[in-house]
Amino acid sequence: MSLFAAAGAVFRREIRLFARRKSDWANPLMFFLIVCSLFPFAVGSEAERLRTIGIGVIFVGALLAAMLALPRLFDEDARDGSLELLLTSPEPLAGLILARVAALALALASALACVAPLFALFYALPAEVALTLAWAVLVAVPTLLLIGAIAAALLVSARGGAILTAVLVLPLAIPTLVFGAGAAQRVLYGESPLAELALQAAFLLLALALCPLAASAALKISTE
Amino acid sequence: MARTEQQSTERYGGRWFWRYASPAAFFPLAGRIERLCWAVAAVLGVLGLYLGLFRAPVDAQQGEVYRVIFIHVPAAWMAMIIYLAMAFWSLLGLWLGTRLSFMMSRALAPTGALMTLIALWTGAFWGRPTWGTYWVWDAKLTSFLILFFLYVGYIALAEAFDDVRKGDRASALIALVGAINVPIIYFAAVWWNSLHQGPSVVKQGGPSIAPIMLWAMLTMTFAFWAWCIAAAMHRVRSVIIERERNAVWMKPVVRGQAERERT
Repeated sequence: MSLFAAAGAVFRREIRLFARRKSDWANPLMFFLIVCSLFPFAVGSEAERLRTIGIGVIFVGALLAAMLALPRLFDEDARDGSLELLLTSPEPLAGLILARVAALALALASALACVAPLFALFYALPAEVALTLAWAVLVAVPTLLLIGAIAAALLVSARGGAILTAVLVLPLAIPTLVFGAGAAQRVLYGESPLAELALQAAFLLLALALCPLAASAALKISTE
Repeated sequence: MARTEQQSTERYGGRWFWRYASPAAFFPLAGRIERLCWAVAAVLGVLGLYLGLFRAPVDAQQGEVYRVIFIHVPAAWMAMIIYLAMAFWSLLGLWLGTRLSFMMSRALAPTGALMTLIALWTGAFWGRPTWGTYWVWDAKLTSFLILFFLYVGYIALAEAFDDVRKGDRASALIALVGAINVPIIYFAAVWWNSLHQGPSVVKQGGPSIAPIMLWAMLTMTFAFWAWCIAAAMHRVRSVIIERERNAVWMKPVVRGQAERERT
């Protein structure tokens, strides 16, 4: 079995699981909806004020929601033993981890990116900002999941894993947050967002190249 | 015992410093370095503070308040250098599997976090009279805040495992991931700040620095170096005692400590 066949099998298994147990991606999505709805209660509902904070709130909300889905990557499989099978596979572990993250990213990032423009309208943002925001979320969530895979792999067997994952991962997500939210701000000011979007995509590519390797090293450390 | 010693001599070409990769050999050396560095830190610290607080002239633009830089700047340097040192020992530990490397890494982390906190705290006290605010979201300040989070994350992760070795290796990996990310985060912060037009700009250097100020600064920098090394050595000795407490060579050490405390 080649790496591509193995990674493809892992990917299809994950997608099937997401299709059959929708709470895995629907719960983070609900969390995102509720977080974004709370802010107007806290700061007031004037359109001008909402427009100022809207991009930031939606972006951070999406990252936090993605954060909550991270334990889904390895925890359950560690409990039922299928993680052992993944580890004993002759194929490179990094490729298999990449397949799992890709499946989670496909389910979660697309769901969040679909809902983000809706909230952009709730926050009185123009339609073109909403579209840029959706794209930026679509790029940012996989980046966060890739970085998060390292922490999730390290903390498979540790105490207080979920909260510690957030402490470790969120500071590292700042670049994608800066450039993603920055791109939408540019559009809000009537400027071109291409520079920010290109840099944000560059971070995704960098994470794509390095994070699976680090995550496979992490998984070996935590399960040895 | 003799055989392993011979093997290691062959393997590493008999270089003397490899000997100190063993906690048993390093423990007394760390003690000597610690005592030396405490002394250096005390002497240079007193001298540097005297030069900085009493001899250096008042700054033409900022008045007396500038004197906080004699604490602030060395602490900021140490905060960055210690993170690099931590990442270095982590890399060495993951690469060679040497136990002492992980111990060094873990011994450095609290000192680094403390230095970051001192840099942030003194910076805030300097910023209030100079900029008119305790905090601005400037790229430098923001990256230091993130550096503090990275230190805290490292320490929290290292403590999260019951198995010491697992905690060592896991936190070493995170230290390396952080080391790769620190420049990226700084770059992002600079970009972000230029977009948002921050309220103030940190000016480097100023017009020109009086020689006595420079001497005070240099003296304080070396005092901070010595203090940090001493603190790290003290902590690494504690870590060694904690982990090797059942080793044969540790018996006289622990007994000697107990006797000294009794008298």
